[in-house]
Amino acid sequence: MEVFQYVLRKLLAGIPLVLGVTLISFVLIVYFGPDKTYELLGKNPTADEIAEIRSQLGYDQPFVTRYMDYLREIVTLDFGSSESTDEKVSSILARTVPTSIALAIPGFVLGNLLGVVLALVAAYYRGFWVDKFIMGFAAVGMSISFLIAIIGFQILFSSSDGLDLLPVRGWDMSTPLQYIRYVTVPTLATVFVALGYNTRFYRAVIVEEMTRDHVRTARAFGVPPVQLFYRNILKNSMIPIVTRIMFSIPVIVISGSLLLESYFGIPGVGKVTYDAIVTGDQPILKAVVVLTAVLFVIAQLLADICYRVVDPRVSLK
Amino acid sequence: MSARAEVAVSVGAHGDSLWSKALRKFRRDRVGMWSLAVVLAYAVVALGVVLGLWAGDWADVSGPKWAPVSGEYWFGTNIIGQDIFARSLYSTRTAFEVGLVVALGATALGAVLGSTAGFFSGSWIDEVIIWLMGVLDSVPFILLVAAISYTLQGSPWAMHIAMIATFWIGTARLIRGEVIKLKSLEYVEAAHAIGVSRFMIIFRHILPNTFHILLVQATLSFVAAIKSEVILSFLGLGVKDGMSWGLMISESTFEVLAGFFNNFIAASVLMFGLVMAFNMFSDALQDALDPRTVK
Amino acid sequence: MASTENNALLSVRDLVVEFETDQGVLRAVDGVSFDIHPGETLGLVGESGCGKTVTGLSMLGLVPSPPGRIASGSIMFDGSDLVSMDETGLREIRGSQISMIFQEPMTALNPVFRIGSQMRDVLQRHQKLTRRQAHSTAIEMLAKVGIPEPAGRVDDYPHQLSGGMRQRVMIAMALSCGPKLLVADEPTTALDVTTQAQVLEQVVRLQKEFGMAMILITHDLGVVAETCQQAVVMYCGRIVERSSIEALFASPRHPYTAGLLASIPRVTDERQEVLPVIPGMVPDLLHLPQGCAFAERCSRVRDRCRQKSPRLELLQSTQTSVACYEPNA
Repeated sequence: MEVFQYVLRKLLAGIPLVLGVTLISFVLIVYFGPDKTYELLGKNPTADEIAEIRSQLGYDQPFVTRYMDYLREIVTLDFGSSESTDEKVSSILARTVPTSIALAIPGFVLGNLLGVVLALVAAYYRGFWVDKFIMGFAAVGMSISFLIAIIGFQILFSSSDGLDLLPVRGWDMSTPLQYIRYVTVPTLATVFVALGYNTRFYRAVIVEEMTRDHVRTARAFGVPPVQLFYRNILKNSMIPIVTRIMFSIPVIVISGSLLLESYFGIPGVGKVTYDAIVTGDQPILKAVVVLTAVLFVIAQLLADICYRVVDPRVSLK
Repeated sequence: MSARAEVAVSVGAHGDSLWSKALRKFRRDRVGMWSLAVVLAYAVVALGVVLGLWAGDWADVSGPKWAPVSGEYWFGTNIIGQDIFARSLYSTRTAFEVGLVVALGATALGAVLGSTAGFFSGSWIDEVIIWLMGVLDSVPFILLVAAISYTLQGSPWAMHIAMIATFWIGTARLIRGEVIKLKSLEYVEAAHAIGVSRFMIIFRHILPNTFHILLVQATLSFVAAIKSEVILSFLGLGVKDGMSWGLMISESTFEVLAGFFNNFIAASVLMFGLVMAFNMFSDALQDALDPRTVK
Repeated sequence: MASTENNALLSVRDLVVEFETDQGVLRAVDGVSFDIHPGETLGLVGESGCGKTVTGLSMLGLVPSPPGRIASGSIMFDGSDLVSMDETGLREIRGSQISMIFQEPMTALNPVFRIGSQMRDVLQRHQKLTRRQAHSTAIEMLAKVGIPEPAGRVDDYPHQLSGGMRQRVMIAMALSCGPKLLVADEPTTALDVTTQAQVLEQVVRLQKEFGMAMILITHDLGVVAETCQQAVVMYCGRIVERSSIEALFASPRHPYTAGLLASIPRVTDERQEVLPVIPGMVPDLLHLPQGCAFAERCSRVRDRCRQKSPRLELLQSTQTSVACYEPNA
């Protein structure tokens, strides 16, 4: 099984990366992280009590032993329980990941789809006013802070100074209508900002493909524009486009949009992560960091497989 | 040879350098010149704050709550009666401080690690640097800031260090590729042949020829740093002591719901102006330095 | 060659192609005129940047626009003017009536489609063949250009073929609809020397077999000597000499042509110490001198050469036209 071997080899090659991420997260969050001793002690602890707690927390162990323990927890996917709520980390993730995905999907899909469409229009009218207008709009999107876009759309749709149509903050997915009511403002802010970067990126990719020699050859053989576009430009642009999309996925699934969720008080992974940052809840941080790295390895793998589908020059060796 | 390339050859037939040609091209770029002027105007404002010429009273509670725009309070006052105009000016200084520190740090680190990886491409040194880039790329940015902040026990530099720790990667990737290209060129091989040390070859003969990439990357890091500052400060992970556009917007989220917009508008518009001008300046710079553009 | 003849397949008159650059308008082709008759081969010769490729692209309306455009002139082909023809009309002609092959075989084919698919596409569009018919015609054509095992190769991707093989595929594709004119832009320059000769020979043989006319764009006068009946020599966007091959090689009239010929190494010659080269550099197309563009490099330069550019004129009692005040005898 050629493909199976390839997948296995790729996953093995991802191990150093995940190890690196665990090492960094261990050093920064656990080893040099907040000292939990005093939170667990009563008032006026004795030296013995302090030593006992430190030993319970494993603070008296050498670096390597503690790192190995940390790794063991990761390999066995036993991330423990949240330090502030005692809920199991796995159940927290199971509860919050779907919310984050539901929040992120509309903005992600629209941002990329519209980005490609605008980029195509701009590239087709390269140098004309349509191009300049679209790229000017993209430059504005790129220059506006995400936070400002969020607040701006919130004022516009949710405040008494604006249209006052949609809820100010919060989250409800019980009915499709409620979902749309809550997801609209975050989605608009996301799309507005993402379009700036996406349009520029996709336009550069498409222009690059449009100026290739084989496009000129195709024109010299009378290929009409629509076919030229699908067979010579779009198919050849797929690699950078697929790469960009694949690598956005881990961020969406695991950290969600930390800013959106904490701003609107949406109970997704981003909100949980933010709360964990504020309270120093190590089991949650550990799970989020490690799972993101693992998803990056998987995204890399999926991207490679897509390359093979799109481009015959790439072989799975 | 394509028609485009043919034209490029005949135009490029002059024997002048990349830099003098870039300067000539940049000077003719009206958008580029205007955006540079705007950036310089902001820089003057920031410098004035550093020299103590203005905005020294940004923290004083000098007026009533939510005073409207007036001759005394040009942009009004905030919820506890501080002058928004002074705070905006002071925040400009913060933006330049963050932007410059991060741009210089990230570009320098990217240049050193990128050129080292490129020069030793294929060896274990290269492997280690590539691995490091992959690892840092896989850690969510905000978590990295938080983690560094823990480690440095809330130091105000945690944000700067975290940005440098992530922003160098893009520069390093570009420089690595460029150095791999450059090191096979004749003059580098000649330096090898006459026994110039590896260190000298990298830093005297190769890096100076990647300077145009570094310059563009520095402008991109500057913009990214200003934009990240706003979000990190809002989340309480950014500027700790002092005032910044991010803190102003953070403050304003309560005011906005009460229908008072001065703080929000002042910070947003000023920040948008600087970021937009810097983006356009960066674009014009890339155009001017790109040897392929003949337009 | 003279403009009075009307049975020409293609006749180009006063063609001017300009490019918009940020340092001003650049005239890549300036007042070029020539005729080509059915079955004839015309060599378009000059250094890179002299406008020969742009001239070739103009024949199919493929001048990259923007920044380029045909500013004036006409290109009459089979009774219609290609310059004023709309895009739909040009598409009908491209690849069926007039075909073009390019210098870079490595990048000229679409890397993500099989060569068979790319060839079928041309045949199905222009000849209205079914997929099956197009497939067998494609294989036939591949065999004609000397590709071994064409039935297997037709399913290869371009990257699986060598440069020489890819150029043969390009030729097969270009000839598959039986065009009346082939524009070949440096078809062998990117290939290695042994392959060059084979591919060139192939092109000439097929040209005879198909009875088509050919414009061969090249900087290599040796190639022109072997394959062409007529030659047009270009310098800085203008024609400096236009004549039959015999006349061109026997008595080059323009000092530039003479210089080009002198710089070709010859096996039959006495041992030469150094090959003569033309002194000086090609002037920048944006800053052309007021007079003859070749004046600064010319050994026979006179005052009036620097004042006004000479027009291309037919020399009395010859078949050669030359743009020079002091042509070689």
